[in-house]
Amino acid sequence: MKLGVTNRYIIYISGITDIIVQKLIKANRRSVKSIEREFHSTKPFFDQPPKVDVISADSFNNVQEKNKKTYLDMLKMYKLEKYRTGHVEFINTALKHLDEFGVSEDLETYKSLIQVMPAGKFVPQNYLQSEFMHYPKHQQCIVDVLQKMEDNGVIPDWEVEDMLIKRFGNRGIPVRRYWRMMYWMPKFNNQSPWPIPKPAPNDPYELALLALNRICSIDVESEVKVYKTKDLEESIEDTWIVSGQSPEQKKLIAKHSDTVPIYIEGGFRIWLRKQSIVYFILRTEPSKEENDEKEDEDGNIYIFIYLNYDYNNFYFLDISKFHVPFFDQPKISNKVAKKKTVHEQEDGTILAVAATGTSSKNSLLSWIRFLEKDGNPRLTKIPILFTSRSPLGNIEPLVELNEFKNEIKQPGENISIEQENNL
Amino acid sequence: MQSAKRFTIVLLRNRWKNIYINLMKNNTWHTPNTKQIHTSHATNEFHEYDKRSGYDTGFDIADTKTEKIRLGFKQLKKEIKLWKQEMKELLEFDPILDYRAGEVDVFWRFYDNSSLDHWIATSDSDHAEGFSKCDLKISDQGYGLFSGNLCSRVPKDGKIQNSGYCNIITKRVSKSFQRDTYLDWSPYTHLNLRLRGDGRSYLINIHVSGQFDIMWNDVFTFVLYTRGGPYWQTTRIPFSKFFFASKGRIQDKQAPLPLAKVTHFGITTADRCDGPFQLEIDYIGADYDPTHTEETAYEMYNIKENYIIGT
Repeated sequence: MKLGVTNRYIIYISGITDIIVQKLIKANRRSVKSIEREFHSTKPFFDQPPKVDVISADSFNNVQEKNKKTYLDMLKMYKLEKYRTGHVEFINTALKHLDEFGVSEDLETYKSLIQVMPAGKFVPQNYLQSEFMHYPKHQQCIVDVLQKMEDNGVIPDWEVEDMLIKRFGNRGIPVRRYWRMMYWMPKFNNQSPWPIPKPAPNDPYELALLALNRICSIDVESEVKVYKTKDLEESIEDTWIVSGQSPEQKKLIAKHSDTVPIYIEGGFRIWLRKQSIVYFILRTEPSKEENDEKEDEDGNIYIFIYLNYDYNNFYFLDISKFHVPFFDQPKISNKVAKKKTVHEQEDGTILAVAATGTSSKNSLLSWIRFLEKDGNPRLTKIPILFTSRSPLGNIEPLVELNEFKNEIKQPGENISIEQENNL
Repeated sequence: MQSAKRFTIVLLRNRWKNIYINLMKNNTWHTPNTKQIHTSHATNEFHEYDKRSGYDTGFDIADTKTEKIRLGFKQLKKEIKLWKQEMKELLEFDPILDYRAGEVDVFWRFYDNSSLDHWIATSDSDHAEGFSKCDLKISDQGYGLFSGNLCSRVPKDGKIQNSGYCNIITKRVSKSFQRDTYLDWSPYTHLNLRLRGDGRSYLINIHVSGQFDIMWNDVFTFVLYTRGGPYWQTTRIPFSKFFFASKGRIQDKQAPLPLAKVTHFGITTADRCDGPFQLEIDYIGADYDPTHTEETAYEMYNIKENYIIGT
């Protein structure tokens, strides 16, 4: 006849008829005894089961299904205990398992973690207690919970404040920490100019759409389009291509010379909070300055002649017409320089950006085909090269690039897709 | 008398270390076997003795005394050269007279390897506190490339709780003969950077290391959001937006950034996203906007509540 603490809530739980909780209890408790009672007996006091650890290191590990429901059930089980002890140990153990159960960004879970501490027990009753950290371990434990919330970007709500005040009083250290969090965290929550939905999607396709929209935010006219390689007859794979191009970039391709190659470079990595996506770019060498004025109409020699002087003729340089800028009218040129688009950077002109489902060479070839059909007919005439190096920083080159290094000619088309490893 | 002498010797030998630790070691009456009430390490006072909080300085280049003297003379030559240059500049007296709106004055740019001399790149693996790796180099196109691999795996030594940071920081601003000095950015209102990131958020740290030990770690910080992708971005951040932190904790009592007392400038990545990162930097500069009058973006008023020490 055992009337241990464990028996009490077995009765309670079987009343709820929550099968999962029962299973959990069986898995986690060492002594589950029969539910028989005996009145007026001192026996239970002498024959009690050995004191059961409130929570053992394995308790959370032994759970079969690890999800939010079972995590909250574990907390519920603990809270059903009549003489709750070892709150700090329990919470510290529970904190370590947040990620496993996938609840690290869930406010409700954090709230029930705080509720593990009983309300009203740790509230300081006088000035001295208030000043000298009443129940320090317990306060520190809840501060750790709040720290975890902050690390995982979970903003608490007003209910959390009520909970903390009920547990640690108006001036408790966790309450003060909560106020700090409520001051700073909302300030930075929506600060990013390129926001990502919360929670961020896990699907690579969704991520690619987000990433491409983010990259293309440089040019408001840019269009992000999705192509399916199935729609192309020659394609080998079945995957998606998310491609971004603006009308400006189409114009640049239309004006592009036949002799200057275009490079497919990548993969570069873009991070969207915790996840990253690999993308590729279509790049060509930067357009050269055409309006290099060296001498004006009068043949006046300017000082910058000395910068590119000819060594042989240096001594015969006619300085009779040497220009003195102080005494004449300011020089006005009629030449108009064209403003460069955002896509024409000093380290290359970016013509299109894409991410594909497989990040393979075939999918990128399909991408070029789609671009040809989609308003860039000139791409058929321009040589296109795959490169494994880029001036735009570190890249993670295609695996296939190292495998075949030969020139590949596509049958029936006059594009040459070449290999170049040493740009 | 004996103990006073011992104290002075210890003081002279370990000027930058916690002298009490050494004193304890030398004390004969303080044997390690005596039982103490406290099992945790007790700090006798909260004054700090080491500016680098015990981290390796890497400054002990020479082992022997003669080697030190030799290197000292070598350094002296450089310092005199620097001093000469300073005197020349003083006599020329050519300050910037007008700070025009929209004009960016560049402080750091990456031309060649000599421009990397101003910078130090560190990560947690340098102090055996993690597994991140990073370096700062000049890219093929002539930009600064801060890249590496961030790893938030915590080493199992039982002490470290969090891990995973990479950081670049400029060396302490100094005049000739290694005298500390400050950068004066007070004419400017905005920090202006041109960079190409990878979509991560970085931290910009403006260190205003002060005279006393509690001010050694004063840092003003703000987040640097990067777009990611092949395009360059120009970021302008008002200095008023920078918030005050010390040893990685945001401070309750905020203050305007003391722009005349800048000692270091740094960029950190520690966003717990494991994987490669790269940040290309064209320049780091500042500009002046006459319409910007805000001193600090954070609340400055005091709440009078007398029964809390500190907060």
